[in-house]
Amino acid sequence: MSVTQPAAPLRVVIAEDAVLLREGLRRLLTDAGLDVAGTAGDAAQLLELAGALQPDVVLTDIRMPPTQTTEGLQAALHIRHQRPATAVVVLSQHVETGHLFELLGDDPRGIGYVLKERVADVTQFTAAIRRVAAGESVIDPEVVSRLVRRPRRDSPLETLTERELAVLALMAEGRSNQAIASQLYMSPKTVETHVGNMLAKLGLQPAAGDHRRVLAVLAYLRG
Amino acid sequence: MSRRLRNILIAGAAAAAVFTVVTYYLNGWPQPPGPAIYVITPTLVLLAYLGVGLAAWQRYPAERIGLLFTMAGYAWFLPSLTQLHYPLPFTVGIVSGALYQAVLAHLALAWPYGRLRSRVDRVAVTVNYSFNVGNNVVQMLFWNPRTNGCGTACPANLLLAHSSSRLYSTTGTVFSVTGVCITAAIAALIAWHWRSARGYARQAMTSLIWVAIPIAAYIAVLGIPGNLGIPGLVLYGIGPLILIAAPAAYAISMFRARTARRAVGAALVDLEPGPSPARLRDALARALGDPTLQLAFRIPERGGYQDTSDQIVDPARLPAGRMLTELDAAGNAVLVYHELMQHEPELVKVTVTAASLALEHARLQAEVEAQLEQVRASRTRIVEAGDAERRRLERDLHDGAQQRLVTLSLAIGMARSQAAANPELAVLLETAAAEAQAAITELRELARGIHPAVLTETGLAGAIQALAERSPVATTITAVPASRYPAQIEATAYFVVSEALANVAKHAAASSTRVTIRELTGRLVVQVSDDGPGGARPEGGSGLRGLADRVAAAGGALRIESPPGSGTHLEADIPCP
Repeated sequence: MSVTQPAAPLRVVIAEDAVLLREGLRRLLTDAGLDVAGTAGDAAQLLELAGALQPDVVLTDIRMPPTQTTEGLQAALHIRHQRPATAVVVLSQHVETGHLFELLGDDPRGIGYVLKERVADVTQFTAAIRRVAAGESVIDPEVVSRLVRRPRRDSPLETLTERELAVLALMAEGRSNQAIASQLYMSPKTVETHVGNMLAKLGLQPAAGDHRRVLAVLAYLRG
Repeated sequence: MSRRLRNILIAGAAAAAVFTVVTYYLNGWPQPPGPAIYVITPTLVLLAYLGVGLAAWQRYPAERIGLLFTMAGYAWFLPSLTQLHYPLPFTVGIVSGALYQAVLAHLALAWPYGRLRSRVDRVAVTVNYSFNVGNNVVQMLFWNPRTNGCGTACPANLLLAHSSSRLYSTTGTVFSVTGVCITAAIAALIAWHWRSARGYARQAMTSLIWVAIPIAAYIAVLGIPGNLGIPGLVLYGIGPLILIAAPAAYAISMFRARTARRAVGAALVDLEPGPSPARLRDALARALGDPTLQLAFRIPERGGYQDTSDQIVDPARLPAGRMLTELDAAGNAVLVYHELMQHEPELVKVTVTAASLALEHARLQAEVEAQLEQVRASRTRIVEAGDAERRRLERDLHDGAQQRLVTLSLAIGMARSQAAANPELAVLLETAAAEAQAAITELRELARGIHPAVLTETGLAGAIQALAERSPVATTITAVPASRYPAQIEATAYFVVSEALANVAKHAAASSTRVTIRELTGRLVVQVSDDGPGGARPEGGSGLRGLADRVAAAGGALRIESPPGSGTHLEADIPCP
């Protein structure tokens, strides 16, 4: 394989019941250089396309016909179960952690849970899809913030500094130390120190791999 | 009985008593009379019959029983006229010597209401009167006081036709035998009356039997020659007291009739509210002492009535001796009782009133309960309809406005990525994006307030978790069942927790709350406790009142304990099939 050969574009299947939005997404992703292999208007279609096209990424709305509850989520879980290599990005209109934890299960690699309105920021949105396709976890900052800001009594979280809380939130969003360092304008070394201190304070084991860390931190925050 | 007649009868009674006493002491004056007992007991008998007779006459003017007692009293007095030592009163006194016995027999046959029941009874009574007076008249024709034991002490016998001791004693023997026959016939009739009596009447007849036996025995002893060797002091001094048994028994029955009316009232008071018809009938039957009492209701399908023991009652063909009274204007319920009860019109009235009151009460109660049930059902339907409407609104917002705003944001976002060359346009688009984002956030909160989608999607577990995460007060969830429940139950439980947490945040100044939802058999128990200062008043905030209404609409109950200084503890008990 030659290094000069451009990597094949990510193949994406989109599932969204609102036609305008579905077409908007197709255009957005196509413009961003992704290959939209197919689009679906409901969960059944999505399952069919995912099976037939074997896409790298499935991007699906949680709520779809016919029951308008969690068809998209259930379909995504099914696809993950059939083909764990498929990255899944779920679009939610609600800030509900229940869905998030159901989706994450015990392996958050290649999973994204983002609020639907994130599509407005084209750059960040496509970046999120690419990160998920690369096996990272992407958790919407709004959802994480809900967990972090939640009032607590007698919790070690109260002993954390603002800086540490910001690091913690980014960890929960699925960021690597490298990414946290660049986002908070800190040296990777400082980030590592913060992370170590914090995990000790919260009584969490320093986990091997970012995805383990995401699960541990989110579970702790939800606790 | 007119006031005047009553006064005359009372005066007559007093005069008779005075006469008896005075003549007893004047007779043979200046010789001392015999023992006082000879005058005391006859006077007591006189007063007892006249007293009870007049009282009964006054109380039951439509009945003849009072008249009969009064007659018996005067008949008892008539023989005392012999004390006057003048031929006319002496003769009258002798002739009427056994008249009181005839009146007593009449009284017994007419017991307890003073009316003879049949032609046979009337014949027996007439024969008995004729005999009791007639035998004396016949014997008087032959009885000469001067030669037959009375000597000069007695006045002349006005009826004397032919002085003959032989004829006198022969007729006496014949009349004794005849008298025994007539008395036996009357006793048989009374026994027949007793046997055929039922219920209320049986009770009255039984008390008569207890009274009639000693009286009849006493009179029989008086009629036997030699009186079985019983000394005169016992026979004439103490013996007449036995006769008082009859007026005494009647006085007791009058008193009992009065207490029976009270008993009817008491029986109703003792009944639980809304008694079953069978229990009502039993209580009335007990109070009246009439086990034959029937309470019957119209059965439209059968076109007749059916009583509480499922017996068919046909108003057109009641068995002999039964009476029927309708308990309501529509004739849907009737009381069937022994005809003798009509002699106690007041008792019938009280019973009918009591029964209709109880039935009306039961009917009203059933009506109110039915209405309440309707109101409850409609309240539940209204709440359910409200919930359904909120779910629909939330879905409309989600699928409509929210979706469009997201699409709009996306369009703005794509426009921005192409407007890098035009800074002014970029700024405008950035503002537009921020506005769209704000609108999306607001709309999301609005939709969540209308109805939380997470409740429909994941049930109580997810929805309560979301509430806890959102609550501005630290909230611990102790337990929430993972199972799903009917939408209204989930919505009610959710509403309780959400409203309680909102109240805690607003008023309680608490630092933490605890939410517990447990499923017990047939119900869901929702508890929300805080560690605030307590003192919350359920009637205070409209929030808590709305909560109580909401829980009640689901058929549950809300309890709030908020002692000052010990936090507020709220518990909702929601029925859950």
